[in-house]
Amino acid sequence: MASDRARRELSDTQFALAIGMPVFVFLVIVVAYPLGYAIWMSVHKIVFFGGYRSTFTGWANFARVLSDPNFWWSTWVTIRLTFEAVMLTMLLGLALALMLNRPMVGGGLVRTVVFLPWCVSLYGAGLMFAYLARGQTGLGTSIAYAFGSMASVDLMTREVVIEVLAVGAAWTMAPLVAFFLLANLKTIPSRLYDLAALDRLSRFETFWNVTLPPLRYTLFVFTSIITVLSMKLFDFIFVMTGGGPGTTSATLTYQIYKVSFKNLDLGYGAAMSFYLLFFILASTFLLYLVWGRRETRF
Amino acid sequence: MRRNRYLAIAVVLALLWSLVPIYWFCRMALLTPLEIQQYPWPLFPRAPNVASFWNIFGYDYFLSDGTRVPASGQANQIIRGLYDSIFVSVVVTVLTLLAVLPLAYVFARLEFRFKSVLLFAILLSVALPPVSTLIPFYAMYIRLGLSGTLTGLVIVDLTITVPFVAWMLIGYFRNLPPIERLARMDGYGRLAAFVQLVIPLAKSGIAVAAVIAFLFAWNEYTYALVLVNGSTANTLPTAISGFLFQDPQPANLAASVVVTIIPPALVAYFLQRHVGEMNLVDPVR
Amino acid sequence: MIGRRDFGRLAAGAGLALATRPRLTRAAGMSDFKAASGQPVYFRGWQYKTDIVQSNVSHYNTSQGGHVDYATVTGDYPAIMEQNLMSGGQLDVLYGNPSQATRYFDGGWIAPIEELQTYDEIKAEFLPNLWDAWTYKGKLLGLSYFATTRGVIHVNLKAFNGAGLADKDFPKSWDELYDTVFALKDKGVATPFLPHWFGEWYGISWAFVFEVLNRGGKVADDETHKPTLTTDKSGPAYKTLAAWKKLWNAKLVPSEVLTYNEAAYIAAFGSGRYVFSPQQLYDLQSFNEKGKSQIAGFDSLLPVQGQSWGLIDSALYMMTKRQRPDPVTEDVKKFTSWYGFKDDTGKIAIGERWMQESMLFSAYKSIMDSPATEARIKQAVARPEDYKAVLDVYKATPYPSGIWKVVWSEEYNSWLKDSLANFLLQDGDIISMITASNDKIKELNDKYGI
Repeated sequence: MASDRARRELSDTQFALAIGMPVFVFLVIVVAYPLGYAIWMSVHKIVFFGGYRSTFTGWANFARVLSDPNFWWSTWVTIRLTFEAVMLTMLLGLALALMLNRPMVGGGLVRTVVFLPWCVSLYGAGLMFAYLARGQTGLGTSIAYAFGSMASVDLMTREVVIEVLAVGAAWTMAPLVAFFLLANLKTIPSRLYDLAALDRLSRFETFWNVTLPPLRYTLFVFTSIITVLSMKLFDFIFVMTGGGPGTTSATLTYQIYKVSFKNLDLGYGAAMSFYLLFFILASTFLLYLVWGRRETRF
Repeated sequence: MRRNRYLAIAVVLALLWSLVPIYWFCRMALLTPLEIQQYPWPLFPRAPNVASFWNIFGYDYFLSDGTRVPASGQANQIIRGLYDSIFVSVVVTVLTLLAVLPLAYVFARLEFRFKSVLLFAILLSVALPPVSTLIPFYAMYIRLGLSGTLTGLVIVDLTITVPFVAWMLIGYFRNLPPIERLARMDGYGRLAAFVQLVIPLAKSGIAVAAVIAFLFAWNEYTYALVLVNGSTANTLPTAISGFLFQDPQPANLAASVVVTIIPPALVAYFLQRHVGEMNLVDPVR
Repeated sequence: MIGRRDFGRLAAGAGLALATRPRLTRAAGMSDFKAASGQPVYFRGWQYKTDIVQSNVSHYNTSQGGHVDYATVTGDYPAIMEQNLMSGGQLDVLYGNPSQATRYFDGGWIAPIEELQTYDEIKAEFLPNLWDAWTYKGKLLGLSYFATTRGVIHVNLKAFNGAGLADKDFPKSWDELYDTVFALKDKGVATPFLPHWFGEWYGISWAFVFEVLNRGGKVADDETHKPTLTTDKSGPAYKTLAAWKKLWNAKLVPSEVLTYNEAAYIAAFGSGRYVFSPQQLYDLQSFNEKGKSQIAGFDSLLPVQGQSWGLIDSALYMMTKRQRPDPVTEDVKKFTSWYGFKDDTGKIAIGERWMQESMLFSAYKSIMDSPATEARIKQAVARPEDYKAVLDVYKATPYPSGIWKVVWSEEYNSWLKDSLANFLLQDGDIISMITASNDKIKELNDKYGI
C-alpha cells in the first residue's frame, strides 16, 4: 500500500511538473527578471547625462529613502487611504451582500447593476470620479444649484481628497466582496434562523450570532486582498488627482512613479518600491497574526 | 411590511450608488458642446443627442436644428485603440486559459513536492505593485524589441492575469467532485480525464475565469501607459487620455469611456451569477 | 565657460558642418524630399488635432513616397519622450518644447538643424526672438511647430462689462490685475479670476515663471544659470508669491484648479464663470467660436500697457540621433525639412495650415507677415481693436532663457510644480519658498557642473 502511494505521488509530481513547468518558466522569466533587475537598480546609482554610467552604491539608496520627507508623507497618505478604502469596501460589501441575500423582485437585474462597478476600469472610474468631485463639473454643484444655491461644491481639496479617493476605490472594489459574502451567506442553513427566532434573539443578536460567524473567515481573506489592492492602487489616483492638489494624494505608488519615471532616479525609485512591497507583505502578515490566525475555516 | 419598505429603500440606495457615477458620464456624452461648457452642469440633458458617439468614430453629426457637430480629430486613435484593445484582450484571455487551466488543476487535485512554495510564489506575484516593475519591464522590452508592440503588452498582461486567475481556479477545481479515480478505472489517462471530463464539468468556472482575464486585459492602463504609449500599438485607455489635453472635448471623452464600459456591462449579468462559485477565499486547503 | 566635453562637441559639430555643407547646397532642388530608403520614419507628438497631423503625414507619404509612421503620446510627455530617447527606441522626429530640446541636446539624443540642406534658407526665415529662444550652444535645435504667448490675460467681456467696467479699466500690470480682481469680488462677482495653477507640467510652475518675468525679474541668469531671485519685499518673486497667497487665503480660487488637466482648465474659463484668466494666446480663437464656448464673441485680452504678459510657449520639431542606417537618416532629414519648413512646392504649407486652423503662430517671417494671417487673427478676435493687442502682446513676450536653456530645465520645473502647490496648500512662508528655489537651482547646477 505504502509503496503504491509513493509511486502515485511521484508520478503526480512528474505530471504536475510536465503540465505546470511551461507556465512556471514563463512566470519566472517575466516576473523574476524584472524583480531581479529592480534589485540591481536599487543598489546602483544610474546616470544618463554625459554618457550612461552605473556605480554600485550598496544600501545608499535605501538609506536615502528613509531620510526623505516625501517618502514619509507618501507612506502616511498610503496608510490613510488604505485604511479608509478597506473599511469602506468591507462595510459596503457586507451591506450589499446582506441586501442581495433577501428575496426580491427583479433580483437578477439588481445584482447585475450592483456588480457593474467592479467591471469598470480603475482608469474609467478615475475619470468619472474626477468629474463628479470637481466643483466645475460636479454632482454636488448641480444638486446645490437645483436647490437654488450657486455654491461650487469642490471635493478636490486638501482636506477631503483622500476620502473621495477612498470612496471611489470602494465603489469599484465593494461588489466583489459583496458577491463572495453572498455566496457564503447562501450556505447558512435556514433552520439556524428558525432556531434564533425560537430563542427570541433580537435582530442584531441574530446577525452577530448566526449570520456573522460563517462569514468571518471570508471577511478576513477579503480584508487582506483589499488591503493589498488599495496599497497597489495607481491608475485610479493617476487619472483622478495626479497626486494632487500639490502632493496631498501622492501615495507611495504615485511617488515611485514620479521618482523613477519622471525624475529618472531609477535606483532610488527601485529602492522605494521595495519598501512598498515590504509594507504590503508586512500588513497582510500582520492581519494574519492579529486576526486570521484565530479564525477557523468553513 | 416595514421590512419590505426598508429593503426597498436599501435597493434604491444601492442602485443609485452603483449607477450615479456611470450616469454622470453617460449624460456628459449626450450633451452638446455648448451645454457641456455650462456652469453648473444640468442634472439631466435637456436635448440629449448621440453626436459624440458618431464623432469619436470619425463621423460628423447633425443635430435636429441642423448644427454640425464635427468628427473628433482623435477618431483615428480611438478606432485604432479599440481594435488593439480587442485584440490584446482576446489573445490574453485565450493564453491565460491555456496556461492556467492545467496549472490550477494540478494544484487543486494533486499532491506534490514544493507545492506550497510554488503557491506562495503565485501569491507574491499577485502582491507585486505594477509601478515597481514598470522600469525593469521597460528596460527589458527595449532590449528585446518588445516596447511599442502588442506582443509586449500581451506578455505583460499575462503576468497579471495568470497568477490571479490561477488563484481563482485552484479553489474552483478543488470543489469539483473527485471523478478522476472513477475515470481512471474506466481507462481514461490523466490527460484524457482532464480534457474530456474535468473541463466540461468546470465550464462555468472556466467561463468566469475567461471573463475576468478579459476584463483585466481590457482595463489595464499602467503598463500600456508606459510600454506602448507613443507607438501605433495604443490601447483604448491610453488613446482616451488624449482627450485630457489642449483641445477639450468632454463629450467625446465621456463617449469613449462609455464605449469601454460596454463589454463589461454585457458580461456583468453572467459574472454576478457565477463569480460566487469561485473559491477566492481558500484555495489551498 | 565651456566645459571640455562641450568644446569637443562644438568642434565636432563645426567639423561636420564644414564637411557637409557644400555637398548639400549643390543637391538643393525640388525632388529632394522623395524618401529613398524604403524604411519607416517614426514621427511622434502629443495629441493636438491629430487628424490634421495625420492628413499632413499622409500627404507626405503619398506625394513623396514616404513611410512616415505617425503616432501620439499621452500622459507625461517629456518623461515618456526622454525614456524613449535614452533607450534609443523607435523615434526619429518628435515634438518638444525648447526647454526639453536643450536637455535632449545635452543628452546627445537630437541632431541640430544645421545638418539639413535647407539650413541657410531656414535661418533667413526665422524671427530673431525665436531664433534666440531655440538656439542652444550655438545650434538651432528644431523647426517651427508653433510659437505663442502662454499666460496672456483673457478677459470675459460679458462679465467684465457686466460689472460696470470698460476698456479704460483694463489692468496694466499684475498688481493692477489683482487689485481689479479684489474690486470685482467686492462688487459681488464670486469668481473674478482663474489662475494658471493647473496640474500639468506647464501649469502652476510656468505661472510663477511668467509672472516673475512680467514683473521684470528672472528666476536664473541667462548665461551663468545662477539663481537670481531675491527675497526683498518689492522683488518680483516676493510680490508674486504674496499676491498668490492673498488670492488663495481669500478663498477666491477653488483648490480643484491644482488638479485640473489642461482640458478642464480651458473648459472652466469657457464656461463663462470667470472674468480674467491667463490662457494661451491662440485660444482666443476657440473661446470665440460659436457653439464651442459660453463666451463666444466676448473673449478679449489685456493689451500691453507698459508691462508684458505671459511667456513664449513654443514647440519645435526635432530629429533624433538614434542608431539607424544612413539612408534612413537622410529620409528623416528630408521629412523634417518638408514638414517643418518648406514642402516640395516651396511653401511653408504646414505652418500656414496651423495658422489657419488653430491660429498657431509660427517662427517664420513669411507666415507672420502674410495677409492671410492677418485675416485669420481678425476673424478670431472678439473686436477689431483686439487684432493690434494680439500682435503687441506677442511681440513683447519674454522667454526664460535662464531656466529653459539649460540641461536641468525639466527637473527644476517638476520640483517647482510640487513646491508651489504645497506652498499654497500649506500656507508656506514666502521667503523660504524663494530660498528653496534658489537652493534647488544651486543644487542642480552642482549636479551638472554648471
